[in-house]
Amino acid sequence: MTINRAGKTQGEAPQPAPRSNRLEAGTFPYMLILPSIAVILLVVGFPLLYSLYVSFTPYELLRPNSLNFTLGKALRNYEKLLNDAIFWRSLGNTIIFLAVSVNLSYLLSLALSQLLARVTVGQGILRTLLMVPMMFAPILVGMQFRWFFNASVGLVNNFLYSLGLIQAQGQIAWLVDVPLGMFSIIVASVWMNIPVLTIILLAGTLSLPAETFEAAEVDGASGWQKFRFITFPLLAPFSYIALTIMSLDIARAFDIVRIMTDGGPAHRTEMLWTYITRLSIENTKFGLGSAMSWVTVSLSVLFTLYFFRQLVKARIVR
Amino acid sequence: MLIRRLFFVVLALALLITVAAAQDEPQYAGLDMDLSGITIKMANIGGGTYEAMYESIPIFEEATGATVEIVALLDGFAIDQKLKVDFATGAADYDVAWDHTSFVAQYTPFLLPLQDHFSEEELAPFSPAILDAATIDGNLYLIPRHADISPIHYRKDLYEDEAIAAAYMEATGEALAVPTTLEQIDHQARFFVENGHSTYGYTLAGRDEALNGRFYEMVFASGGAMFDENWEPVFNDEIGVAVAEMLHGWYSDGIIPADTTSLVWDGVAAYFCNGDTAIKLEWYGWYAYFQDPDNCPAISENFGLARGFTGLSLGGDAVRPSGWAGAHAFSVPASAPNPQAGIQLIKFLSSERVAYEEALLGYLPTRDDVWDRVIADAAESDRPLDRERLELAKLQVAEDFKTPPLIAEWIPFSNILYPKVQAIMLGDIGAQEGLDQAAAETRELMADAGYYG
Repeated sequence: MTINRAGKTQGEAPQPAPRSNRLEAGTFPYMLILPSIAVILLVVGFPLLYSLYVSFTPYELLRPNSLNFTLGKALRNYEKLLNDAIFWRSLGNTIIFLAVSVNLSYLLSLALSQLLARVTVGQGILRTLLMVPMMFAPILVGMQFRWFFNASVGLVNNFLYSLGLIQAQGQIAWLVDVPLGMFSIIVASVWMNIPVLTIILLAGTLSLPAETFEAAEVDGASGWQKFRFITFPLLAPFSYIALTIMSLDIARAFDIVRIMTDGGPAHRTEMLWTYITRLSIENTKFGLGSAMSWVTVSLSVLFTLYFFRQLVKARIVR
Repeated sequence: MLIRRLFFVVLALALLITVAAAQDEPQYAGLDMDLSGITIKMANIGGGTYEAMYESIPIFEEATGATVEIVALLDGFAIDQKLKVDFATGAADYDVAWDHTSFVAQYTPFLLPLQDHFSEEELAPFSPAILDAATIDGNLYLIPRHADISPIHYRKDLYEDEAIAAAYMEATGEALAVPTTLEQIDHQARFFVENGHSTYGYTLAGRDEALNGRFYEMVFASGGAMFDENWEPVFNDEIGVAVAEMLHGWYSDGIIPADTTSLVWDGVAAYFCNGDTAIKLEWYGWYAYFQDPDNCPAISENFGLARGFTGLSLGGDAVRPSGWAGAHAFSVPASAPNPQAGIQLIKFLSSERVAYEEALLGYLPTRDDVWDRVIADAAESDRPLDRERLELAKLQVAEDFKTPPLIAEWIPFSNILYPKVQAIMLGDIGAQEGLDQAAAETRELMADAGYYG
C-alpha cells in the first residue's frame, strides 16, 4: 500500500476531511507564526500606538500627571508643530540631507564599483580596505569628522593653511557657516555609506553576463556606451535595493549630526532627529516630541510609497 | 624609678601630640558603617579634569566593604538627559547621582530629601549660600561638592609689556589694566586682536545652557534680568539687546573664535591653554591644569585672575560684578535601591578630607573648614597666585554668588534662548527681533507650566 500526499490509500475514493481536521490544516500555519506576530505587536505595535496616544496629550517626562487625554486639547501639539518654524526648517534640512547624501553616496559608489570591477590584481585587498568605514560606529565617524572640520585644530583647515589657501588656521568655520555645516555632515555621512553601496553594486556588476558585453564590443560600442546602455540598466535591480537600504538606513546619521553639530548653531543643521530629541528629552516635552515623530513617520511612509510606485513604474517601462 | 616615670610621661606626651596632630589632619567621613556585600551604583560627571577625583573611592570601599560601581561617566548635559529619561521610565536604579544647582529643580519629585539624613553638625561646614541654592521648598536635595563661579582669566604677558601698554594708551586714551568692566573687556579684546597681540581677544562657551548662562551673567552684571517678579521674560529689554549686539560684534569682527558656537567648557579652556585668547571668564576648576607646563606651556605661570566684570554702563547704578554661580553636587534618587549606602558614600565624598584633596586639584571647596585649610596651605606657596585666587574665590562666593532662577523650566528655557543668541551672534537675525522671538516662546513655555495662573 502506498500513501499519497493527502494521506489516503490509493484506490479509495477521496473523502472530504473532517471539519476539525480542515480547521487544523487552515489554522496551523497561522499558529506557527502567532508568536512572531505577538512579539512584533508587543515590541513595535504597542509602542507605536502608545506614542500616538501620547502625541495627543501634553505629557512631560518629569510630570507623570501630565499624561492625560483631554478631547479639547488633543490636537494642540500638532497645531504647535505646524506653527513651529524650527520644525519646518528641520524638515527642510532633513530632506536636503537625505537627497544629497543618498544620491551622492550612490554616484560615488557606482563609480567606485566600476573601477573595482576592472581591477585585476589586489582586488581582495581593495575590497577589504573599502570595508574599513563599516567597522566604525556612527558616533566614532561623527567624532572623527568633527575633528577633521574643527576650525582651529582641524585637519582640513590645517591642510588648506599649509597650502597657503587660507591665511589663518581658524579662518573657515566648517561646522558653523552656511552651507558648510550641512556640507560637512553630508561628507561624513557619504563616507560612512559608500562601502555598503559599493559592495552591493560591485556584486551586481560582477554578476552581469559577459556575452552581452562581448556582443557590444563586436558592434563597436565604446566604454561609455557599454556602461550607459548595458551596465547601468542591468544594475537597476541592485541600485534599487541599494538605494532602498540606504534610504531606510540613513537615520543612523543621527549620531553623526548629534556629535558634529547637534543641529546647531542656531538650528542651521537641525534635522528631525535632533529636534525630536531636543523637544522630547532635553525639554521633556514628550507629547510634543511624539507628535513630531508621528508627522515624521507619516511623511516617511508617504515618501516610501511614492518611491516604490516610481520604482514599479520604472521597471514596467524598462 | 624616676627614669621609668619619665619614660611614661614622655610616652604619654608623644601619644597626645600624635592624637592632636591626627585631629588636625582633615578627616574622612561616612566610613562608620558596615556595608559589606552592598554595591553602590553612581552616575557621575566625567571628562575634563574630573576623573582624578574618583581616586579616593577605593578608600571608602576598603573601609566599609561596599563596592562602588560607576554606571555612567558623562558630561553634565548628558547626565541631565540621562537622569530625565531614567526618572521618567523608573530606570534610575543607582544610589548616587551627580547633580547641579542649575539642574536640580527639574528632578525634585524623583529625589530623596536629604535633610533628615545629615545632622546639623555634618551640614554646618558647608557654605550657607550654597546650601540655600540646594534647598527647594524646604527640602535639601543636594550635598554640594564644588563651588562653581568664574573669575576673569587673562594672559599676564599682555598686561606686563610696556610697549603694548603705551600703544593701548595711544589708541584708546586709557591705561591698560586688568579689566573690571565689560566695556573694558570689549576695548582691550579688540585692541589685542586688531594689533596682532593675540589671535582672539575673548572666548566664551557658545552653545547649550553654557551660552545661556554666560548671556544671563552679562545681562545681570549690567543690571538686567531674565524674568521679572511675575516670571515675565524681560531679557529683550535694552540691556539684553545691548549684550546680544556686543556678542554679534565680537563674532563678526573676529574677536572671538569662528567656532564659538560649537564650544563648551573644554573647547574654551583649550583656546586659553594654547595661549590663543587674551581674556576669558572661566571657573576655577581648570587652575591646576593651566598651571601645569606639560599641559599648557603657553600660559603656565603666565596668567592672572580677577573678579568678574561689572556689566555695561547702560545699567547705571544697577551694574554689579558678574557671578553666575552654583555648585556641583550629589543627590540620591528616590528610587535608589540602597539609599542609606548612597548617603554614606556622599558623606565620604563630601568629607573634609576628600574635599581638601579635591581642592588641591584646583576645585573650589564648598566647605568653610576646607577653605581655611587651603588658604593656609597657599600662604606657604612660592606662587602668589595660589593664595590670591583663593582669596578672590572666597570674595566671589561671599559677595557675587548669583544662581540662575532655580526653576524646573531653566533648561527648556535655555533651549529656547541659546539658539536665538547664537543666531544673533552669527548675524542670522537682529538682536531685538531675536530676543523678542525668544521672549514670546519663553512666555508660552511659562504659561504652559502654569506660571501665570
